[in-house]
Amino acid sequence: MLGPFAATKALTIGVELELQLVNLRDYDLTRGAASLISALAGGPHAKAVKPEITESMIELNSAVHATHAALLADLDRIRAGVCAAAAKLNIGVAGGGAHPFHHWAERRIFPTERFHALSDLYGYLAKQFTVFGQHIHIGCVSGDAAIRLIQQLARYVPQFIALAAASPFSQGEDTAYASSRLHAVSAFPLSGRMPAVDSWAEFERYFARMASFGIVRSMKDFYWDIRPKPEYGTIEIRVCDTPLDLDTAAAMAAFAQALCAWLSEQDAGPSLSDDFDLYEYNRFQACRFGFDADIVDAGTKKLVPLREQIVATLDAVLPHAQRLEAVDPLALLYSRATAASNGARWMRESMRRHGTLADVVRAMCERWCTPRSVSREP
Amino acid sequence: MPFFPQMPPPGNEVLLLGALLAIGALAGAAVQRLRLPAVFGYVLAGLAVGPMVLDLPARQMLQGARAIVDIAVGLVLFELGRRLDLQWLRRDPSLWIAAAAEASLSFVGVTAALVGIGFPPVHSAMAAAIGVSTSPAVVWLVITDSRAQGQVADRCLNLVAVNTLLGFVLATMLVAMVHLEYQAGWLTVLLHPLYLLTASLAIGVAIGLALPYAAAALSRRAEVQFVLIVAAVLCAVGLAVALKLSVFLALIAVGATVRNVPRRSALLEFDLGGGARVLYILLFVVTGAQASWPAWHSAGWAALIYVAARALGKWLGVMMSAPLSPLPWRQSACLGLTLMPMSGMALLLMYDISARYPAFGEQLASVLLAAILAFDVAGPVVLQWALRRAGDARS
Repeated sequence: MLGPFAATKALTIGVELELQLVNLRDYDLTRGAASLISALAGGPHAKAVKPEITESMIELNSAVHATHAALLADLDRIRAGVCAAAAKLNIGVAGGGAHPFHHWAERRIFPTERFHALSDLYGYLAKQFTVFGQHIHIGCVSGDAAIRLIQQLARYVPQFIALAAASPFSQGEDTAYASSRLHAVSAFPLSGRMPAVDSWAEFERYFARMASFGIVRSMKDFYWDIRPKPEYGTIEIRVCDTPLDLDTAAAMAAFAQALCAWLSEQDAGPSLSDDFDLYEYNRFQACRFGFDADIVDAGTKKLVPLREQIVATLDAVLPHAQRLEAVDPLALLYSRATAASNGARWMRESMRRHGTLADVVRAMCERWCTPRSVSREP
Repeated sequence: MPFFPQMPPPGNEVLLLGALLAIGALAGAAVQRLRLPAVFGYVLAGLAVGPMVLDLPARQMLQGARAIVDIAVGLVLFELGRRLDLQWLRRDPSLWIAAAAEASLSFVGVTAALVGIGFPPVHSAMAAAIGVSTSPAVVWLVITDSRAQGQVADRCLNLVAVNTLLGFVLATMLVAMVHLEYQAGWLTVLLHPLYLLTASLAIGVAIGLALPYAAAALSRRAEVQFVLIVAAVLCAVGLAVALKLSVFLALIAVGATVRNVPRRSALLEFDLGGGARVLYILLFVVTGAQASWPAWHSAGWAALIYVAARALGKWLGVMMSAPLSPLPWRQSACLGLTLMPMSGMALLLMYDISARYPAFGEQLASVLLAAILAFDVAGPVVLQWALRRAGDARS
């Protein structure tokens, strides 16, 4: 069922972070979600931590916030609570978009009716879906505003991918990709880009048609990169790998917020068919090459280095970031873009330094659970 | 014709080992069809081969397979030691409270029960000390075979590592007291346990410290490190035997050192796998084959009391720590049950003690034998059930 779009205050932000649970012995993924969730039960963070499809994943949910600072403080409290509980259980908690060397067949489906149903339907894809993403919610005043923003944001998807990329390794191998995670999502039907609808009414008709085929029952059946979330009154950007630390995660949300503020003032124009034609190619480029990708600009029809595009976007949205008190996080992303330094690169450097993927995961756990004042890096 | 063998041809040890291995493997596979743990089959095969049923020459078997049994025990204890995570014990006090409580409750409980029905205190305590340790081999194999993963399996391995150490320390101290009963000099009484403890730990720690350095210097490739680990285990077992030390203590120390020193990241973690399985099956079959029928008429109720006191002590010990533990009650209850297994190693220890100290008595030996057999047979089944119930093993 598709409910009405619950109008919310524009540009509010909220974040979901899927995290890896590993053992502290060989740093492979472990079965820890149920123990961790029951250890947190009754505490202040009980509602903020949810299970995901396999037992080696948890999801942190922030509350809804107006500013980056409030979001970061909220997430940091949850992070500290989760890391403390995990320490007592001897479980490591890490960011990153994919576990570098786990074998998907060893994963176990978290025992709920919905997850079992998904596993029955999707077979091995369900376990291969043990990948870890950050979902950014942006509040919208109406369904029409949400649909418009989703179509406008499509062009910026490669920028989100490159900034957050943190899944260079998969199943024990270097994939050559900056983000290998998105390919686990692409395997699902109804993934990729939302179709060319231009209003909420049009979207409702599309949904009704898909529902009449018996293909979908709720918005959860769509695995799109960006999708509307009518019950929250938000759009949900789902292309980011979970970053390796909280500062980056919160900065990505601040970037989305400022970008949406800027886009709301732009002339939306008609959706260009070029946009749709180029979408998959540009998305692939960003996954494969990260900051070094060359993206085809649908406006100018020219190849542009993605890094330059990101810097241009950051410059364009800066006035909005100032108004939204989000200059610092954008400065962090600016330095990352100019130095071509994202999570994927950090993980590869860690691999060169340590020599085993287990040590890479150990370093990832340390980075995720180190209190923020210490972990700040240039 | 001189090139024909005599008839019937003489058997040899290799043939015997091959046959034992085949019997063990077949029994393991057969019980797995009934969804029981393979270890249960190995145990039954051992008992069947021994004097209880087929009566193959068990003593000679043990002589021939002594090295294999030692190496298998060494590998299991190394693996177990590598699961002993001292940092975890520090981060979660409920874990060491559970370890201390279950070991002391089962020890005190069994001793008190045996004294209560008229056995002499020191001998009762010795019988109780043998029951303090949970069989490392059974626990290791059932957890590996059922691919159990989670809090109950992880905590179980830590508790077993601790109770194996505590059981050994208790037994050593009691042996000293028995020395005293046999009018051994004070020097022996003090020095023997001291020597066993310190020297066993020292060679274990030394090898454990050297291993990661050797690994870092040589190679990060799994096959090289595998050989290195087996070599270290063989050396540790050999040294312990040569110096009349405890293989148990030395090997746990090797594993725990590798696990807990900062250099451990140089050493890969991997499953010793199929090769080790051959040794483990022989370990179970050969040690199980040592068991003879206990004299039921003299063991009788006393054996039942031993079983009840040990089982209750271990379970209640874990439950006492449950209010402090981050685990839900049901999981703590399962954890308590995972500590039940006792095995062939306890059997060998029992025979060793009753041979050295005749006053230990035929009757107490019979009680202990009956109790060991009960835990040996039921232990793996209860353990697997508890792991499934807890959700750690797939059902």
